[in-house]
Amino acid sequence: MALNSGLQIDESALIRSAQQGDHDAFEQLVRLYDQSVLRLAMNLLRSPEDAQDVYQEAFLRVFRNLDNFRFDCSFHTWLYRIVTNLCLDQMRKRKVRKEEPSVLAAADGPLDRMDSVAEERVDGDPQRHLFSGQLRTRIKLVLEGLTPRERMVFELRHYQGLRLKRIGEILGTTEEAAKNCLFRATQKMRVALGDFV
Amino acid sequence: MNHALSCADARMLFALLLYGELSFDEEERVDSHLDGCADCRTALEREKSLHAAFDGVAVEPSAALLRECRTELGAAVRLDQTPRPARSASSEPAGWWDQFLNLVGGMSIMRPVGAVALIALGFLGARLLPSLNLALVGGQIVATTQPVVARVSDVETQADGSVRIVVDETRQRTISGNLDDQHIRALLLEAVHDPSNPGLREDSVSLLSRRAQSAEIRGALVYLVSHDPNDGVRLNAMRGLKAYAADPEVRGALSRALLSDANPGVRTQAIDLLIQGPDDQSLPKVDRAMIGTLQELMLRENNASVRQRCQRVLEAINASAEVY
Repeated sequence: MALNSGLQIDESALIRSAQQGDHDAFEQLVRLYDQSVLRLAMNLLRSPEDAQDVYQEAFLRVFRNLDNFRFDCSFHTWLYRIVTNLCLDQMRKRKVRKEEPSVLAAADGPLDRMDSVAEERVDGDPQRHLFSGQLRTRIKLVLEGLTPRERMVFELRHYQGLRLKRIGEILGTTEEAAKNCLFRATQKMRVALGDFV
Repeated sequence: MNHALSCADARMLFALLLYGELSFDEEERVDSHLDGCADCRTALEREKSLHAAFDGVAVEPSAALLRECRTELGAAVRLDQTPRPARSASSEPAGWWDQFLNLVGGMSIMRPVGAVALIALGFLGARLLPSLNLALVGGQIVATTQPVVARVSDVETQADGSVRIVVDETRQRTISGNLDDQHIRALLLEAVHDPSNPGLREDSVSLLSRRAQSAEIRGALVYLVSHDPNDGVRLNAMRGLKAYAADPEVRGALSRALLSDANPGVRTQAIDLLIQGPDDQSLPKVDRAMIGTLQELMLRENNASVRQRCQRVLEAINASAEVY
């Protein structure tokens, strides 16, 4: 069940209606999850254009394959399988081609392509501002250094707040494997950022 | 049997501890270790700081991006080559997809997006208020699937103690079509005057600007340049009039904006449009009346950037920046 406009909407009923060709139901279904899908893609790919592509491709696949959805898992898990696969593909391609890194080398230090999208203001103490900016840049670089799977598990656990059991279901692996992945990711980040905190 | 953890082992588990992903036994062992180890308690505090710092790089997609995604998805779903037919023959009323197909006769929807300005007012980008989807069925209020904007306009107690409520309802509809369609234009012309939604006005003006060759649309743009309270709407309307800056009515509106608009960006754009030649590369084209307007602007303009722009134009045509 999900909440929408203050009224409880039966997700299963929406899915069944959408499966029968009701496009209003499909629209409502999209709106239940599209914000978190876009946030996930944006955080992983750090490019509004790529995030937009993933958003569109994911929901088009849902639209085209909704008839095949048999309620064997939750709709959320099914949708996230599609989204995470698309994001992983994109991240792996980038790793191979080494193109379009989100953090670019610049004469006066690394620059993040997303800084113009989501610049978080730290008012007050300029030194604190500088430190905070350096820490953010460093975190972004470390995140880029993780393997796509580590990055994905970290994203789903830390930013999307999903339990490891659910993450395992989404990624087609066990809870234990997801746990190991998260463990490796956090270890790498602690080592790389230890001198900042 | 539980083994006591070393400091190194305990610290390895801090991240999973903070995520609440340790088993009961593992957490017990970490807690036991922390009870007797001040250094690890300090290390745990550092881990918490690191944990919190991760939040600083999270990106929240803008509302504009989400809206764009929804609009594009709506168009892509329409253009999809394999629209899914209903599973079963049904006597239910046709959904918007079927109504849409009936409306356009299935002709334009298969064209590439770039070829047709397909506007979807409502689908996934609805601007109506959240729906209060209630209906009275069998004496009970139940949710309906029809999106309805409702507002209680009157309440009154009846003689028998019951309450009488008057609800104004606005039913949401999706209408799609080409910019050359008169109905679509009429709706957009209506939307540019919606006082409650500057974003809607701005988007509608951008769309209408593509058809500024129409006198009706040009008239609406001229009106907006002079009267809309939103800077973005006025700027968009001015951009739409760029190709018609020689038109007397348009020049009048631009001159008024130049001398009286509160926004320096609008005033600068007014200068640019008023002096533009037949093409963007040619020298400023300024008549005597225009020189007077620019000189008057120099007298009253407080914004340095606008003054500079104005002065450069006057210098370019060898006119004095002062009025004698």
